[in-house]
Amino acid sequence: MVELAPPGGLPGTTAGVTEDAYRGRWSWDRVTWGTHCLNCLAGCPYRVFTRGGEVAFEEQGGTIDPVAGGVPDLNPAGCQKGSAWSVQLQSEDRVLHPLRRVGERGGGRWEAISWDDALAEIADSVLDAIDEVGPESVVFEESVEGGLLSQAPFLRLAALLGAVTLDANGLVNDLPVGQHLTFGKFSCASTVDDTFLADVLLLWHANPAYTSIPYFHYIAEARYRGAKVVAIAPDYNASAVGSDLFVPVRPGTDAALALAVCRVLVDEDLWDREFVATQTDLPLLVRADNGRYLRQRDLQRGGDEETFYLWDEVDGLRAAPRATLDLGTLRPALSGTWSVELADGTPVEVTPVADLMRRMLSAYAPEEAAAVCGVPASTIETLARMVAGKRCKILEGFNAPKYFHGDLMERSMCLLLALTGNWGRPGTGIQGLALGGLDGYLLFSMKTKKGVEEAARVLDGIERAMRTMRERDPEATDEMLGTQLLSLATSSGTTAPPVFFNYHHAGYRETWNRREWSDPTMTRSFDDYLGDAVRRGWWGGVARPGASTPPRVFFSVGTNPLRRARGGRAKLLDNLWPQLDKIVVVDFRMSATALHADIVLPAAMQYERVNVQYPITHMLRLSFSDAATPPRGESRTEWDTFAALARVIAERAAARGMHEYVDARRQTRHVDRLGDDFVVGGDFADEEVVLDEWVRDSADAGTLPQGSTIETLRRDGSIRFTGLGTFAPGLSVATSVRPDEVMTAFRWHVEDKLPFPTLTRRAQFYIDHPWFLEAGEQLPVHKEPPRMGGDWPLALTSGHSRWTVHSIGMGNRHLLGTHRGRPLVILSEADASARGVVDGDQVRVANDHGFFEAMVRVTPRVRPGQVIVYNGFEPYMFPRWEGANEVEPGMVKWLHLVGKYGHLRYLPFGWQPVPADRAVFVEVTRVEDEGEGTEVPSGAVAGTAGEERG
Amino acid sequence: MFTYSLQGLELTAEPTGVLEVEENETTARSAVYQLLGAFFASGGTTSFEKARDGLWAKELFEAATLLPFALHVGDVALPAGMDEAAFAAEFGRLFGSTELLGGARTDRAAEIATVHREYEYFGLAAGGSAPRPPDHLATELDFLQYLCFKEAASPSPRLAGSFRRAQRDFLAGHVLCWVPGMVAAAQAAGAAEPFAAMLDLVGVFVADDHGYVAALIGG
Repeated sequence: MVELAPPGGLPGTTAGVTEDAYRGRWSWDRVTWGTHCLNCLAGCPYRVFTRGGEVAFEEQGGTIDPVAGGVPDLNPAGCQKGSAWSVQLQSEDRVLHPLRRVGERGGGRWEAISWDDALAEIADSVLDAIDEVGPESVVFEESVEGGLLSQAPFLRLAALLGAVTLDANGLVNDLPVGQHLTFGKFSCASTVDDTFLADVLLLWHANPAYTSIPYFHYIAEARYRGAKVVAIAPDYNASAVGSDLFVPVRPGTDAALALAVCRVLVDEDLWDREFVATQTDLPLLVRADNGRYLRQRDLQRGGDEETFYLWDEVDGLRAAPRATLDLGTLRPALSGTWSVELADGTPVEVTPVADLMRRMLSAYAPEEAAAVCGVPASTIETLARMVAGKRCKILEGFNAPKYFHGDLMERSMCLLLALTGNWGRPGTGIQGLALGGLDGYLLFSMKTKKGVEEAARVLDGIERAMRTMRERDPEATDEMLGTQLLSLATSSGTTAPPVFFNYHHAGYRETWNRREWSDPTMTRSFDDYLGDAVRRGWWGGVARPGASTPPRVFFSVGTNPLRRARGGRAKLLDNLWPQLDKIVVVDFRMSATALHADIVLPAAMQYERVNVQYPITHMLRLSFSDAATPPRGESRTEWDTFAALARVIAERAAARGMHEYVDARRQTRHVDRLGDDFVVGGDFADEEVVLDEWVRDSADAGTLPQGSTIETLRRDGSIRFTGLGTFAPGLSVATSVRPDEVMTAFRWHVEDKLPFPTLTRRAQFYIDHPWFLEAGEQLPVHKEPPRMGGDWPLALTSGHSRWTVHSIGMGNRHLLGTHRGRPLVILSEADASARGVVDGDQVRVANDHGFFEAMVRVTPRVRPGQVIVYNGFEPYMFPRWEGANEVEPGMVKWLHLVGKYGHLRYLPFGWQPVPADRAVFVEVTRVEDEGEGTEVPSGAVAGTAGEERG
Repeated sequence: MFTYSLQGLELTAEPTGVLEVEENETTARSAVYQLLGAFFASGGTTSFEKARDGLWAKELFEAATLLPFALHVGDVALPAGMDEAAFAAEFGRLFGSTELLGGARTDRAAEIATVHREYEYFGLAAGGSAPRPPDHLATELDFLQYLCFKEAASPSPRLAGSFRRAQRDFLAGHVLCWVPGMVAAAQAAGAAEPFAAMLDLVGVFVADDHGYVAALIGG
């Protein structure tokens, strides 16, 4: 608390005391730049003020230059989470020394040990695992927190060992699967200032008032220039308060709503036929006999598998161009049925996807959809007319992918955008995720020495590789070749989709085979589908570690699986933990996972080390965090930690007479050189040098302003990217970066008519894979969320809270003081009343999978039938340490196991099965009511075993 | 992780063979930097003798022949009666112990660290056995000579571009930040020949060369 007093003090008071306190509080002797490297899609530049070697406070920088005339700038960029970061430096949950557990895992007893002892013990475990099982038994969880210099070191060690890293997107399920199905990629996001240019903003599966605080002003500013803001959500959330129209959709029925809007657009002839014909697969012909696209191989023996057809209104059957979206003189029919002769002379009827879409939409008349999604038919019609002919942008968070049928929701939302011609122009598109490319970071993993000449060697090599690929596929775009290159790297890299690890080693197999929790259109068991996918080689080379490779050593670096894992803490503790010889957590705080680890290594926090936020298109800036103070206690940066671990592994391997081994991919690993290889013979001795190299290489490759170095970052705090990179993630945004323009995604597709990286090379709404046909999901449709967790009356949803990014800020005293400071179950008044629950009661939330208990908050803003628990509360904040994830089975959708179908093939951070955790079905009861005849879900009984665990 | 890795991707190298570097505008620039660097390296016997024999002017004139812009070498000659001791004394008077050190004008440790990184990134070691500090004018001019030569000798157009951009950026970020001021100060102190001429020459050349490179590639 700061007391204020006028100069000279208040009459009759101890004059200067309060003034001195004030001035003392806000004084400083040094200022550096800082940012927080959190998974919030922002990299807000902060000024960090230090006094006497300690961080005193931080402030939003507010120094970002405007980009485009007439468009508001990004300033001030920041939020209360960033502004309270410094509080955590001194937090009680900081880890300041290497710790080794004493007694049972999770017993809560620790001893401080030296770094030497800690690293030696870990190194021995790693070597034992390699010796006895192989390097794939050493498993690292990839992270989305901490910035690039937190992640790069352990990824580097894993790569040198031949270990496995579990794809972060398969863990946190942020992957917009429906966008990938439609566009062949998920990198669809423009810069956030593009929001300002929209006529209609649909806040859909997003609550930016909580989760995008630095960017929210663009929504308000867009309204000032006349834009309409529509909030589509089950609950009347904080973002809905400022909207023009609130569309209260029942949880999990967004596809029905979107398709009903599409139906109105088509019925009222409000759709953009030319856009649809040019950009999408809607003109492509589908066979009536088998539901597959008509392909060249159908028409001629030896024909091509990936040449598709349309029906020209003048010339009839014509191959659709693959090298471009430009149709030239072609005028494809969007309706009709024609007969074509197959190669064997058999006639078959064909019809364009557009006609199939119309048939599909016939099931979504507004009145019928209203009965499904709970949105009045008149609102649906209003919404359709509102978006027709307007520049419409969907602001989507990462909520939809967390529904079991989130892919169908997103595909339907994309169809709405297609029918209204809404991508590739300013103020349009779907604003989810998009990664820029910090080329220097990518080059780094391939460099064998420092410097520009090595960077040029690698870049020239990549160019040659792409040239060779282009010779094989002359119609491929740079984006497609970049993706192919990434795919090649994946086959020799460490990243693996976690679905197989979870299935074989973490106890999910039984859960995923519970048919009653999955979709009824599954005709076989999950086992059958997964086995089929593996047998067909759809996941060749990345289904690691296999069933016969038990994990032995598990590294969690800035991740928190016991808090996050869909399936619950108990799933991992009961299934994975007993298999592990060593669990190593590297973190700056004692997370739930750290509490159950064997060794915890203390990590330096932002403000105590140099770091950069990952490149993301939302700000399109590389933001820098400097070392304002030395790391507290014995904490170290991840670079120092893993460089030292690499050295110790090498030393202890040599002492064992172990010099090299061959990994599962038949690569020889020189373990005795590990220490030197990690730092490239000393070229990269510390993170300062590493970051400087990344920045210089990025500048040289054209993604940062020429001549940029770490000193540029140190001076300016953040730098706007000048390009999206040479490689796949950046190229997928399909647009150019210009210094004085808002960056709008997909302009290459719309303006330059470059094809999409999909099977059909068009935005693809029709997936003719046999599994999709079998499931009735060849086109987007609505399906009810499966009864995950059992047939209980309340749908549990979630979202990022206003107070933290995941669990990172959960120990922050200031932020805890801005709310009740404990986990909350947010319930509607009707549901609370029906259960005799009042605000402040302790309730049990349970289903057939598990249970947890927390305080209830009763509010009219939640719809009846819905219950919300915001993301991020640590399990130890709940009784018995049973967190909200205990009721989440973590079901994955079987269709996402499809591979080797055009764009449906694994890429790191891309296409793969991701677990669902929204619309899990539960019951809520007052804790005091137990045993009084209340029906209690079975999980609530089974879950009592957890009482012994806390 | 929000990033990708290409670790493990195998890249094939294209054989480059023996590369012959023809004399051209870039090698001419390299040669001028080399000569200027050598002059400002010390006021010792070799430099005196070259001045006495008119070799500085001759070599600079020859080197400048292929330059892409005009460079007036002027009269780089010893004044009558200046012996080796006077030559060395004038060098010492003008430049003392710090005048030729770029970092002396700002935060020297930071400047040294910064130029160190430049040298290392572009392939030079800047170890403790170097004859002069890394922020010495002669070292910086030698670095520019190296960058020009590497541009001329690079088998990869990409790499040649990198070395060219580095010249522009190093000139703008380091040399031009302090050399004009140093030249002005030395001239104000009444620099004798040949130092006055060489000071003019280095001042004009680094500015013109930066203008030339910037015009070529922008910035």
